Amino acid sequence: MRQLNPSLKALSLLLLTLLLAALRQPWLNLSVFALCGLLMLLSGVRPRALLLTVLPLLILGAGLFFSGYRFAADSALRQVAAPGAASPVLPFKNSLLSQADASRVSNGLVLASRVFGFAGPGLLLALTTDRVRLVRSLGQSLRLPPLFTYGLLAAWGMFSQMNLEYARARAAFRARGIRVTPLSLRLLRPLLIKSVRWSEALAIAMESKGFEGHARRSSWRTVPIRLSDWLFLGLCLLPAIGFFI
Amino acid sequence: MSGADSTKSGAATARYAWKLRDVILMAILGLLFAIIYLAVFQGGLALSALLTPAGLANYGFEIVYGVWFMAATLAAYISQKPGAALLTEVLAAAIELLMGNSGGLTVVLTGVIQGLGAELGFALFRYKKWNLASMSLASVFSALFIFTYELWYLSYYLLSPAVLAGQVAVRLVSAILFSAVLCKLAGDALARTGVLKSYALGARQKGVRIYAEDEAQEVQKSWRR
Repeated sequence: MRQLNPSLKALSLLLLTLLLAALRQPWLNLSVFALCGLLMLLSGVRPRALLLTVLPLLILGAGLFFSGYRFAADSALRQVAAPGAASPVLPFKNSLLSQADASRVSNGLVLASRVFGFAGPGLLLALTTDRVRLVRSLGQSLRLPPLFTYGLLAAWGMFSQMNLEYARARAAFRARGIRVTPLSLRLLRPLLIKSVRWSEALAIAMESKGFEGHARRSSWRTVPIRLSDWLFLGLCLLPAIGFFI
Repeated sequence: MSGADSTKSGAATARYAWKLRDVILMAILGLLFAIIYLAVFQGGLALSALLTPAGLANYGFEIVYGVWFMAATLAAYISQKPGAALLTEVLAAAIELLMGNSGGLTVVLTGVIQGLGAELGFALFRYKKWNLASMSLASVFSALFIFTYELWYLSYYLLSPAVLAGQVAVRLVSAILFSAVLCKLAGDALARTGVLKSYALGARQKGVRIYAEDEAQEVQKSWRR
């Protein structure tokens, strides 16, 4: 996964997500999530990190499930509960659940499984992609103007600074005896001021080194598109078969 | 006549042209807001977990939904250029994705949709009015755009209309509160400090306290040491 061209990988996974959104198949959503999890583990994502990111998803999924269960639209219920129309999502059709209940459950499942189907590809990209390489390939493969690739790289470089500054601002308030909560609006002001000043200083520095943003440059590190990238794109488009079955 | 026209349009393109400075400011604002977005996401998650037993988990996010439009309106308010709202929102979404958000890849797509909504709000004023009214309109359009998309993408159409109407109402209030009122206050406060001198918002500000010269010298001295 780490060897793939990042922009093409992002594009493939985006298409996959949109396919899932169009198909609305809970079991497909869940199996895509499982597959993505497997791919992440195979490409060296630590299981603990993966578990920590999945935890909020469970909460989100549960929330949507109960929303779908309790507040189903009438049309949705009729659609699923229509006689003859076999519920596509529930294999346990003849279980203890009444028909109406079953359609409510499936309504909740459609909403909830979606969270997982969407998160899988997103996490696969976020956890197995080198950020700088992604920005480079956006410029090289997708022809993003250097103005924006420089901007993105500069901002990404400021990430650790931003965290540090956040901690510093909180410490400064505490030193003055002002209590601030982690999400206090008071903290926003110093951070905004710092952001503006950093961006000015950075822009001047970059322009003085010739990174003025409009000229095309050749690049030392190239991010090629290989056959495997196209194969991955094809794999991500596989669920499209679902439209024809 | 044509000469006057061309200088006028030349001045207009110069005013609207992107400079590296603008893009970096937007990217850094995007970064700041990406961090805020992720933090708010956790908060919204906690809220919605509380509301889950009632089946009202969606409202947990609706209450804070306006925060997601803040980057767009604030950046547009500061730089006052067409496209600033869209670009910043997309950058913030892209950075949010790279930091590992669980909303998935389409977070970039939602960034585009919200940004387009905000752009429409400002465009209706022909990019000439930069006040609470235009910012509110931009926020409202962001909220409506993204809700329309969610009807399809999150299958919200499966929920009953009454719940959805409530969601829209809460989201609109949240949008105006966070991304119009709060962003206006933040932008004005920022302009008053003088750091925005080289951006449209700061240039318009009168009676700005200029501290940059002496402070810059002091900073330089400290660097030399």
